[in-house]
Amino acid sequence: MNNYFDMKMLSNGKNEAFARSAVAAFSLPCSPTVEEINDLKTAVSEAVTNAVVHAYKEDGGIIELYCEVDEAARWVSVSVTDFGCGIPNVEEAKEPFYTTRPDDERSGMGFTIIETFTDEMTVRSKVGEGTTVTMRKVFKGC
Amino acid sequence: MNLDFKINGNDICVRLYGEIDEYTARTLRADIDKLIEAQGFRTMTFDMQNVTFIDSTGLGFVLGRYKKLRGKRAELLLKNVPSQVDKVFRTSGIYSFVPIVE
Repeated sequence: MNNYFDMKMLSNGKNEAFARSAVAAFSLPCSPTVEEINDLKTAVSEAVTNAVVHAYKEDGGIIELYCEVDEAARWVSVSVTDFGCGIPNVEEAKEPFYTTRPDDERSGMGFTIIETFTDEMTVRSKVGEGTTVTMRKVFKGC
Repeated sequence: MNLDFKINGNDICVRLYGEIDEYTARTLRADIDKLIEAQGFRTMTFDMQNVTFIDSTGLGFVLGRYKKLRGKRAELLLKNVPSQVDKVFRTSGIYSFVPIVE
């Protein structure tokens, strides 16, 4: 059975650093390179930021962080789930530079970075119920 | 997140420290904007050497400062960009607006 952790945290920007560091530390038995770990941390940060900034806006809520690693096959899978507003059009949201909050200096690059920096990304969302972003990173370096 | 800066005539070099994300960008944005408002600089250079992490919120922060400076006919420049930061910047194409200097 693969090792995993499953936790809940408040949708506070303060917890982004914790979330990406926790995933990075948990992935270390897979012997990732520094670049691979940085890619993973960046991708996790994007998903958690989406939950904090877009899903819950100012209201706050709970973010679930699930992380599973396969040490032998050297991959990690991370799911970030919120129970916020949901995304009406996921395909549109995935477009580079697409943002609903341009005035807030949002770059609109979150999903593009997750897609570029990991091997697989899936986004499941339902308006009014929430969003789950799942990413998988395979460690190929030695 | 912390910063220090050095002013040389109409040019200012700001050294940024630590992680730039949703949590830290707010304070940083306010601090940098105070500097931008305080004096009419010709160029502002962000020295990124001590930035240990950045994500797209940090990228938005840099682009925001670029726009603000451009509105004042000033230029934003980058130097000493570490590899994690460079990868995020390259993905976004920011270097066509905010060039790297030696």
